[in-house]
Parts: sequence; C-alpha cells; structure tokens
Amino acid sequence: MTLLTDSNRQRGTDGETGTANAGKYAVIALADIVKRYQMGGHDVFATRGVSLVVPRGEFVAIMGASGSGKSTLMNIIGCLDVPTSGHYRLDGVNIRDLDDSELSRIRNRKIGFVFQGFNLLARMSAVQNVELPMAYAGLRAKDRRARAEVALKTVGLADRMGHFPSEMSGGQQQRVAIARAIATNPALILADEPTGNLDTSSTIDVMSMFADLHDQGRTIVMITHEEDVAAYATRVVRLRDGVIIGDHQRVPIHARDDHMAHVQAATARLDDRELPS
Amino acid sequence: MNMMGNVVMALRGISSNWLRSLLTMLGVLIGVAAVIVLLAVGTGSSEAVAKSINSLGTNTLTVFSGGRTTSQTGTKSSNATLSSTDVKLIGDSNNAPDVQSVSPVISTNETATYSGATYSTSVIGSTPSYLPASNYSISAGRSISSADVKSHAQVVDLGSSVTSSLFPTGSNPLGKQIQLGSSEFTVVGLLASKGSSGLSNGDAVVIAPYTAVQDQLTGQSQSFSELLVQGKSSATLTLAQSEVESILAAQNNTTVANLPFSVLNQASLLSTATSSSKTFTALLGWVAAVSLLVGAIGVMNIMLVTVTERTREIGIRKAIGAPKSVVLSQFLIEAVVISMLGGVIGILAGLVVVRFKIDGVQPVLATYSIPLAFGVALLVGVFAGLYPAYRAASLRPIDALRYE
Repeated sequence: MTLLTDSNRQRGTDGETGTANAGKYAVIALADIVKRYQMGGHDVFATRGVSLVVPRGEFVAIMGASGSGKSTLMNIIGCLDVPTSGHYRLDGVNIRDLDDSELSRIRNRKIGFVFQGFNLLARMSAVQNVELPMAYAGLRAKDRRARAEVALKTVGLADRMGHFPSEMSGGQQQRVAIARAIATNPALILADEPTGNLDTSSTIDVMSMFADLHDQGRTIVMITHEEDVAAYATRVVRLRDGVIIGDHQRVPIHARDDHMAHVQAATARLDDRELPS
Repeated sequence: MNMMGNVVMALRGISSNWLRSLLTMLGVLIGVAAVIVLLAVGTGSSEAVAKSINSLGTNTLTVFSGGRTTSQTGTKSSNATLSSTDVKLIGDSNNAPDVQSVSPVISTNETATYSGATYSTSVIGSTPSYLPASNYSISAGRSISSADVKSHAQVVDLGSSVTSSLFPTGSNPLGKQIQLGSSEFTVVGLLASKGSSGLSNGDAVVIAPYTAVQDQLTGQSQSFSELLVQGKSSATLTLAQSEVESILAAQNNTTVANLPFSVLNQASLLSTATSSSKTFTALLGWVAAVSLLVGAIGVMNIMLVTVTERTREIGIRKAIGAPKSVVLSQFLIEAVVISMLGGVIGILAGLVVVRFKIDGVQPVLATYSIPLAFGVALLVGVFAGLYPAYRAASLRPIDALRYE
C-alpha cells in the first residue's frame, strides 16, 4: 500500500516546491524542454523549448496538428522518453538522469496511462488487466484484487470483471483502461487521444468519466486534436512546430448549461458524415 | 511480480499457441528421449558383451594349443602340444599357487542323435572341474565325475539346447542312450541354461569325460586342444597367468616371450571390451547431444518469433511500469517451461522406448541419464531463452507501443 501515500510523502519532504507552492503544488513542471532527433545527418527538433506548469487538480488538453510535437511532449511527460535538454519535475521528482528501471518505477507509481488503442493485454481478463500495474508495484494478490474491483466499479464495469478485451466494446475496453489508470491512485492521469478509436456515444461516455475524475480532484493531461474532446478540459494548451502558441483557461463543457445541446450537435454532425456512405 | 505469477503467465502464453508450443517442445522431447534411449542402448550392449565374456567362466585363463605369432620373431611354433604332464604341473599348487583348477579340453563337433531327432552340437571332453570353471551348473542328474574320467566312461551332461532338441518336453532324458557320431553315450546330467550370450550359444554343448572323447571320437591320445585354468581370484589372475606361462615355457624349453601357446586372460579381455563399449556409449551420447542442440535452436527461434509478435504487449507492460528484470524473467521462464515440459515428456517417452529391444540389444536404463537429461533440458531453456528475453527486456516502450 506504500505506493498510494508515495506522492503525499514526497510533497512533504520536498522543500523547494512544497513550501513555496503549498496551495498550488505543481504535478508537472516542464522548463525549456528541447527534444532533438538525428535524421539523415540533420538535427530535427520535435520540441524547441516548451515550458509548462500543471498544478494539482487541473484537466489540461494539449492540442496540435500532427508534427506539432505533442506526441513527443506526451512521451516526455509520461516518462517514456527523456528530453535532450531542459528540466522536468513530475510530482516533485526530477526526471533527468534516471535509468530505465527507475523510469519504469516512476511510471508505475506516478502515472496512469490511457492510450488511444486501449492497450489492454488480450490474454487477460478485465480485472487481471487492472491488477497488472499493482502487481508490478509489488502489492499482494488479495489487495490488488480488491482495489481492481473498486476501480472497475468506479467505471461502471462491475458486471464485466471476468470478461476478456475481445468480448467488450471499444468504450468498455477504454473504461477498463481508465480503471487500470486510476487503480494505483497516481499523481497524474495521462491520456493519449483517448477517444480516437471510439464512436460518438462511447466518446461522450469516456469523456464524462474523465470529467468525473476531474471533479474528484484528479490531475489529468490529455493529448487530442479534436475540439469537441478538448472542450471537456479546464485548460487548453496549443502546440505548433514544437512551441506553445496558446494557453487558455476555460469553463469545461460539462459545467455549462448547453452541455446536452453540444452533445446532440456532435452526434448529429457524425450522423451527417455517415449518411452518404 | 512473484515466481508463481510468472510461471502461470508463461503457461498461459504457451497454451495460447499450443500447436506451435507443442512442435517446439518436440525438438527438446526428441533430444531428451534420444539421450536416455541411446545411453540405455550403449549400457545394454556393453552389459551384453560383459555377460558373454563372463560366460566363458569365472576368473579363467584359456591356453590354446595353436601357436601364436610373436612380434619379435614372427615365427609360429605349431609342433608344441598341451600334454597331461602340463595339466599335472599346472594343477600342482607348489608350482602354481594361484591356480584353483586346471581342466584339459578336447573339443569337436558331432551330430547328436536320439530316436530319430538330430542336433549338431559341440562336444567338450574334459574333467569335472570344467563345469564350475565355465559357469555350468547341473539342473538334473549329476556332473561327470573323476571316476568317469578314470574309467573312460561313456557318459555325458547335456546342454539345455541339446536336451530340448533331442527330447520331447516332459520326458526324462536321464539314463537314456544318445548317439554322438557313431558311439553311444549315456545321459547322466542336464546343464542349466546359461542363456544366449550374443556371441555363441553356450547351451548347444555336450560335456563328456575327455578320456571317452579321445577313445570314441577324436582318437588323439596324448594332447589337448586347450586348457581351461581357473584362478583363485580375479585379483591374482594375472599372477596365475605368469605362473602358467613359466611352467609351459620350461616344459617346452623356451622363454615366456616365445611361448608356442596363446593364453587368453578373461579379465583383460573384459577390460578391453568394457573400455571399447564405453567409447561406444559416449559416442551415442554425443549423437543425442547434437539432437538436443537442434532442439535448443528450435526453442530459441520460437522465442525470438514470440518476442517479435508480442512487441506491443511488452510495450504496454513496460509503459505501465514493468521493470526490465520482470520482462526478462517472464520470457526466460516461458522458454524454460517449454523446454522443461519437453524434457519431462521426453524422459517419459525414453522410459517407454527403453523397455523394447532395439536392433537385438536390450537397452538397460542408465540411472544417471534421467537427471542428466533433465538438467540439460533446463540448461537448454535458459540458453535458448536468454537472448530473446534480453531483446524483449531492452525494447524501448515508445518503440514497442508504436509497433503494429
């Protein structure tokens, strides 16, 4: 159970950010992040100095066209990749100079991933998939089963625990993935195009779930290129050519009165698209 | 992630593609079964050779009257004979303290006949001590006796093959008259079967007093075709050999090196045969080892394919926090489980095959071959799994997640 108090303990002992921003403690602090690739002898910059602070409890959408550097930024925030230069603190931990196994540990303890392609293990049932990160964290079988069941109930899949991914719809699979992401009680939920493979009703389903998680005080960073989806976030960061070109706070769609109208409009648009075929 | 969880996961991986896992296992299975069967065949054939040498007698020396070619002179003395004086001298414990007994042997081949049934057999003319020295035992009746030898009595002990060929089952051959060549002999004893030794049939024999054989069949009066000398123990057999050789050299006015007889030492024959059959067994073991190596390559090949196929799974696992060591052990355990399953089934298959005769040899299970085969199967799994598992563990999660 230690991993669940990990972030709190870190906050208490980390004097630098802890005392300075006791109220608005930053989950993500990116400073001048540069990622450079070698491609055919040329240097290619995926990000050219991105600085971004995400305080606890925010729901941030990072938007941008393909090639804008949003995937690279997502990999760096997710500790799947390390920047060429710049500083990154995740929940108070300096991510630079960590080796492969330390990065694995950080990902396991601090981040809950939700991917576009769900990325569930096909040979495992829903509850086993949700248990997996807790197994890597070293939780005992009984504890992780109990936590996995709670997480699956939270996403409304109490009756699907023993089902395999192939027996579930895309929306249900993504909800299993969300359960997997929240079961470890991570400091950050990182979603990469979470609705990219879903139909409209499943999209609304999944986004409502993210909105609920945000209401419960969780910090969420979501990569997307769809405005409809980004509308659920409290803050939208726009990237182009590896730099931030816009950063706006806004009232999320589900808090506005015209929420249902928006949903209906989105559904209608999709129906229009599908009619000619 | 504990060991049990990993093994369960490996079994799930194996069963998800059971046909491929089975074919992979087959390589290890055949290799392990080959180790057990071939080592058993090697052991079985060396035991058969040892048995056939032992059937010559226990701690025996055989002196052949035929001369031997010596490497120093290249001459062959064929005029020297083995006489009853030689027998007397060798049998004297003052001259040869390490000799237990000496039996003169006259051998010939005759057709044995009894009421129409015939059987071609070798006839041994000797003394009563020939029987224990050659490991013959009486199953019914009595052995030929010293009195028989002295009185030139026409009595015989029949080997079991001769008995079964001449007499119908259930009848009592004792006291019956059989014909050897043109002479009549009375059956006084039956020999217990020595079993076929592979080289010769020790049961196709008739043993009679040498005096009677000389009188009735061969006609030679003074010389013997061979002497069967039994030593007191296997440890002093070489000593007994040199005593016999020096007595014979003195009798023939020559040196031991130029002795006109050849002396076959059963112990040295046995050790030569044993060492050559050891080489044979080792050779078979290597052949089996090669087939195990091929099995190992099969396991490695499949594990590499598996790692490639499951790149995405590895990416997911690493993304959600699987450390390198866990991914490494997962694939390593999978390889080890495949080869261990193959090994265990291979051992069982080997144990079944060993029960049957292979090419005339009854395999004898070498007990060391089971732990050997099992250990090798384990090593095969580790060896074949290590590199693919390392490849899997070293995959970068972003590359692995992008893999389609």
